[in-house]
Amino acid sequence: MTSASAENNALGPQALSRLVVVIATDRDRQAFTWLYRHYAPRLKSYFLRSGMAGNVAEELAQETMLQVWRKAALFDPAKAGAGTWIFTIARNLRVDYLRHDRIRPSGDGEMPEDEADDAPNGEALLITSEREERLRTALQTLSSEQEAIVRLSFFGDKPHMQIAQELGIPLGTVKSRVRLALAKLRAALDGDK
Amino acid sequence: MSISHHLTDETLLRYAAGTLPAGPALVVATHLESCAKCRARLLAFEAVGGALLDALPPERMEPDALARLMARIDAQEAPAPETAPRRMPDFPGDIRLPAALSACEIGPWKWAGPGVRMSRVTVPGGGESGAVLLRIGAGRRLPEHGHGALELTQVIYGSFSDIYGRYGPGDVSETDEDVDHQPVVDASGECICLAALEGQMLFKGFLGRLAQPFVRF
Repeated sequence: MTSASAENNALGPQALSRLVVVIATDRDRQAFTWLYRHYAPRLKSYFLRSGMAGNVAEELAQETMLQVWRKAALFDPAKAGAGTWIFTIARNLRVDYLRHDRIRPSGDGEMPEDEADDAPNGEALLITSEREERLRTALQTLSSEQEAIVRLSFFGDKPHMQIAQELGIPLGTVKSRVRLALAKLRAALDGDK
Repeated sequence: MSISHHLTDETLLRYAAGTLPAGPALVVATHLESCAKCRARLLAFEAVGGALLDALPPERMEPDALARLMARIDAQEAPAPETAPRRMPDFPGDIRLPAALSACEIGPWKWAGPGVRMSRVTVPGGGESGAVLLRIGAGRRLPEHGHGALELTQVIYGSFSDIYGRYGPGDVSETDEDVDHQPVVDASGECICLAALEGQMLFKGFLGRLAQPFVRF
């Protein structure tokens, strides 16, 4: 373990979200460096698991972090944590890469905004991180089969039919595992409604 | 807009993961534009992606990776200009094209059977997976077809009905191979929807020969 990664381990979801906010407001390079040290290696891991070659995974991780820098002002801590927001950027880049095309509609996958959220930043950040924390806890309560299928759904590029073939289980079983897993996760997130 | 027909968890999960083919993903994006409820559900699934990302074991980046990225940031390189070829078929009245389609190439309306016109929607880089805009007259059936793994139909204008109820603007119909529904456009007026399928499209009869070149997977 290097000292850098030991430092990273201290960064919780709220701290990471705050870094993005600081990058947006102050264009703070130190904050970006901390965020980079946490996410770039995980993004590379994500792209590798999605079937990318090593150099492509590295390049897409770089590209994701560049967009994080450029689009930090679009980060809404009331909507999602830093990890969730960065995941969507990485996912969009992966989709673009697989389509061999860089054209995206302007706004880059950002959904039209709902009514403005008047909650102050700090409070919003806390509510979001509590909600996402419940989700993370719920993820850990999934059975290993359910967890495996959720993981495959995110990191593979495979329809459930193919997952079923590879796991040697019927398609219906895959679908019901997905449904059960998703119901659990949604119950965890809906707790605050 | 009151929306009563939504996307399933499974489809939202695949959209959140970025694993839906281009055509179905386009229909999902169109539905999300009009449906706050599905947007909130999508956010939940994206949060699953965020949680998985945070939990991944870090992979070592090249030693100079951060320095190279900082150099790019310092150079303030301009993002590549976003140009998108765009053609639009004539829409009746003041119908607004969903923003999700703004980067797509949209072909002209073509006759596709009595009371049915069709326009091909090509997603940039979407390869074989695309979608179609369907413009169907009052009281007409939607093109009859069998089903692939997933069929998505988003209503943009007008309405149709099937065994599950009535679908108005903003509603999405999601069916799979187990379903044999027969959607019919309501008598009150024509209907425009955006449709895509995953898997083999099986339009039947002569309409099939017309439709196949438009919707491929």
